[in-house]
Amino acid sequence: MNPEKDQQHDPEAIEKSRQQRLEIDLAARWPVGIFIGSSIFWLLLGSALAIAASIKLHDPAFLAENPWLTFGRVRPAHLNIVAYGWLSTAGIGIGLWILSRLCRAPIRDNRSLTLAAALWNMGNAVGTWGILRGDSTAVEWLEYPTYAAPFLLVSFAFVMLESVGLIRRRPPGHIYISQWYIMAAFFWFPSLYFTAHGLLVLAPVQAPAQPPINWWFAHNALGLWFTPIGLGAAYYLIPKIIGRPIHSYYLSVIGFWSLAFFYAWNGMHHLIGGPFPAWLITASVVASIMMFIPVITVAINHHFTMVGHFKKTIYSPTLRFVVFGAMCYTLASFQGSTMAIRSLNGITHFTHYTIAHAHLGAYGFATMVFFGSIYYIMPRLLEREWPSRFLIRIHFWSCAIGFIAYFIFLSWGGILQGIEMNQKETPFLEIVALTMPYLKLRTVAGSLMTLGHLAFAVSFCWMIISHRASTGEPTLFSKRIPNPDPIS
Amino acid sequence: MFVAVTVILIVMLLGSVGALFAFSWAATHQQFENLEAAAESIFDADEPIGKPTDNFITDSHES
Repeated sequence: MNPEKDQQHDPEAIEKSRQQRLEIDLAARWPVGIFIGSSIFWLLLGSALAIAASIKLHDPAFLAENPWLTFGRVRPAHLNIVAYGWLSTAGIGIGLWILSRLCRAPIRDNRSLTLAAALWNMGNAVGTWGILRGDSTAVEWLEYPTYAAPFLLVSFAFVMLESVGLIRRRPPGHIYISQWYIMAAFFWFPSLYFTAHGLLVLAPVQAPAQPPINWWFAHNALGLWFTPIGLGAAYYLIPKIIGRPIHSYYLSVIGFWSLAFFYAWNGMHHLIGGPFPAWLITASVVASIMMFIPVITVAINHHFTMVGHFKKTIYSPTLRFVVFGAMCYTLASFQGSTMAIRSLNGITHFTHYTIAHAHLGAYGFATMVFFGSIYYIMPRLLEREWPSRFLIRIHFWSCAIGFIAYFIFLSWGGILQGIEMNQKETPFLEIVALTMPYLKLRTVAGSLMTLGHLAFAVSFCWMIISHRASTGEPTLFSKRIPNPDPIS
Repeated sequence: MFVAVTVILIVMLLGSVGALFAFSWAATHQQFENLEAAAESIFDADEPIGKPTDNFITDSHES
């Protein structure tokens, strides 16, 4: 598995590794392509519902006549679609491709994975339909009704089987840190989802025990599902693109294991101030502060791997998206740890600040890293380049500017809202009016992000249907390709 | 309630035992040794260290 440096100039070894990579990418074409392609459909639908929900917060009459499109349905539909339709579907595809690459083993069972993709999408479709028709479970992050769960369960079983098969077929030697992250995520997600679904929806536990299980699940869905896939992708793509090993593998190992052992304690900080044993919440606050350890290891690693190579983000779409995402990971995690501190939580809890934070993690980090990953993966699956650098530019700038604006407006509005909500004498409606301009600005920012998603979808479809032979030129942001810097 | 507690306990036990098993497997199977080689394991003869890969067509697919 280790690079054999003396073979670097051996044409036979070069040809062998090239052939092996082509074979791996070819085997992944259908299953990974379907997962990624369908995730983009859910991204668009999720964005449309997001804008509808956002408009309703400052214009309650908007689409209010149709019960299917009332706020109580549109908002959870948005959350579940982007969580399970977009992030999870894309995450499975990206995770499988990286695992296959790193295990040096082609995906074997194309048919079962294609079936898995079909079932996963059916689960999302049935779940969304269930929420919109009024069948939501009313458990946050788990609103898909019970009849959607079997589709997701069976689908994920196929994904797990294939990923275990890939790991078993790997050549002897090191398991790279991305493989650890992705394999762990592939085990964590189903156990989280189905434990929580069982205890909250299928056979609900007594009421006081429901919120901790709910937040154990919801927080871990971010930290033990989207995060490890995103970090696994970043740990693979950044070094691959710039051609330089990560700064410190040692730190990456510490980061992975500290996340694995301590992240699951975090969720109870959502219950600060709630009717719940204080010691459990305190343990969760401590665990949240401990998250500085894995986050700092990742931040140091990504930064020092990139040092001297930041200029390449001018050219490489993948690198620009992934580096943007990696920076947001650090910010989101630091912010999350501070939000678990009781004094700060007293202001930010139940405000728009929390929504902004959730988007910093799920959008600024996970979504942007996934966009970057897709820009890297698709040309290799199809042996065809992205058709238009203009569309990629629109995609990046709309999403980046839209998201930064979204985050600033909503955080600012949320802080003002939190401060006012702590003043007993301020009438509640005054606080609602106070947040109004920020909610309107959020709609504008969200629309800008959606414009980026549209450009991405057009770019993706264009790439799929075009039969244009490769020109031999990669689609970079700029035509001028930088000289590859030799690593000292 | 009994069922719920049993489910939670089983999940906790499986999760903890699984994590400890994975950690001890990693420790006894040289996953924490020779870390430089681990960091370099994503490169190969065709895409070696020092070669950027976001220009894949010219680099790897053209003969």
